[in-house]
Amino acid sequence: MAVLLPYLYTGGVHKHGLLIELMEDLGGYIIQKVVTGTEVNLIMLIPEKDVNVVKKLSDELLGVLMEAPLTGVEIAVVSPTLASHHLPHSACDVAEYLRHPGANTNMIGLARGMGRRVSLSMDYERKLINEHDIAVFTFGSFSDCITKKKPKLFEGIEIPIVVTGGPVELKTEDVPGADLYIGNIGRVSHRLRRTEEVNALDSLNEGVSKIADNIRKQQAKDPLAVLPARVMKEIENQVPEIRTVLSPAPLTLQLDGLRVKLPYDEFHEKIENLEFDEGVTLSELANISRSKMKNYILIKIKSKSDVGFAI
Amino acid sequence: MPQAMWRSEVRMDSLETFVVESAIDSEQEFYRKIIEDNLASLKLAPAIGRIKVVLKPEDSLFQMAIILRDVGTKVTTIDIADVESKPVAGEVVISIKKEQYIPELLVKLWERYGKANISQPDRWTVTISTDKPAEEAAFIKEMMVADPRHRLHENLVDFAIRATPEGFRVRYHLYKGNHFVFVASEEALKREWIEEAGAMLDELTEGGEK
Repeated sequence: MAVLLPYLYTGGVHKHGLLIELMEDLGGYIIQKVVTGTEVNLIMLIPEKDVNVVKKLSDELLGVLMEAPLTGVEIAVVSPTLASHHLPHSACDVAEYLRHPGANTNMIGLARGMGRRVSLSMDYERKLINEHDIAVFTFGSFSDCITKKKPKLFEGIEIPIVVTGGPVELKTEDVPGADLYIGNIGRVSHRLRRTEEVNALDSLNEGVSKIADNIRKQQAKDPLAVLPARVMKEIENQVPEIRTVLSPAPLTLQLDGLRVKLPYDEFHEKIENLEFDEGVTLSELANISRSKMKNYILIKIKSKSDVGFAI
Repeated sequence: MPQAMWRSEVRMDSLETFVVESAIDSEQEFYRKIIEDNLASLKLAPAIGRIKVVLKPEDSLFQMAIILRDVGTKVTTIDIADVESKPVAGEVVISIKKEQYIPELLVKLWERYGKANISQPDRWTVTISTDKPAEEAAFIKEMMVADPRHRLHENLVDFAIRATPEGFRVRYHLYKGNHFVFVASEEALKREWIEEAGAMLDELTEGGEK
């Protein structure tokens, strides 16, 4: 199986169709295309040996091609509530910054996450967070809260947990249950733009990319039965209704599956019966369930060892 | 005590004293910054003379005492603009001198004359078409545009809630004369916490007499 590398292309809209065609010829995948005015952002997976070819074309088009290590990762940015204390700064800044290297982020505000003694999360919220690949919890400025009180919000979270908070001197091991702690992103009422804040966001991106890499490495030992990007392409070909969806990422890739932003009741059979050239249907390769997010469809792809083969 | 006395007692610069206390230094800095940002976004900094905040996260406690500066009296149109009647054209022309009150002024004018009769040829001018320019001009001159004290109270409460850690939802607030005391916690408030905040206020008041 060809190794695919994640890249982000940024350039003018003019002739960017050539890149899309090239990607089809090479067997790569366009994960997301965002057109803003005269600019276009293409997030794509390029076969390792063909990166030079794409680079050459992007140079001809006067665009920029850069690595996007969080491509195909869906991240939950969890803030204790959606009150003005956490939004729009810093939770939005964190979510926005994580999107630079290609991640899809969803902001989740817990209903009752605020406070020390009283904070709690609901079963529904935990299940919703667990649908993602990585959870980033944005906490406040008191080290006492971060180390002693808030970690109870991690109960029942099965995915890797990243915590952001104000205190710089805290270490990851001081926060029970967290896989990574990043300081200097606490409660602020201004945009994160001072040097130390932007540095903290950079180290957040770096840390999250490492966690994503680790998950990929674990996966490589027992690969998925089918690449999520390939399922994405098949859905685009076989379920034309996906083109009418207005959500920013109608098909959101995850490390071990994807979220299809179509109503479950109407479309789950079509998705289950999705056919591949090898003669198998998607329901043999993946668990398809109702997503906790709206009424979407969640596909979690089984591993090769479960299915017995991979395509 | 009458309010006028409170006010005449205190003469001070804006943010003459700005103290944030907490057991951990770095946390003080964070809260200082949060308070600064919120003061700035609510445009409260000029109205506040002295402020002291004490944070005790281990007790889930936030205490704040503020001494306000003289906030001024009610503002009428004539304080902020020249009003001129143009009988021939059937117009009243308002030439603005203090721009910060334009939103309040416009809201009052729209209510009375309707948006269709009001135009703003430039940033400093508002023209109103009316049948009785002379009488309307006289009325507009005396019209109250803003009551800074009322607005200040609203903003102070908003500021206190924005600055407090979000979970601290049991609150006590006192606004009397130019003194403002705010205590918030997650637990039921203890009497001594409020008394402590009162002591902070006394400390601030004395601070100015030195």
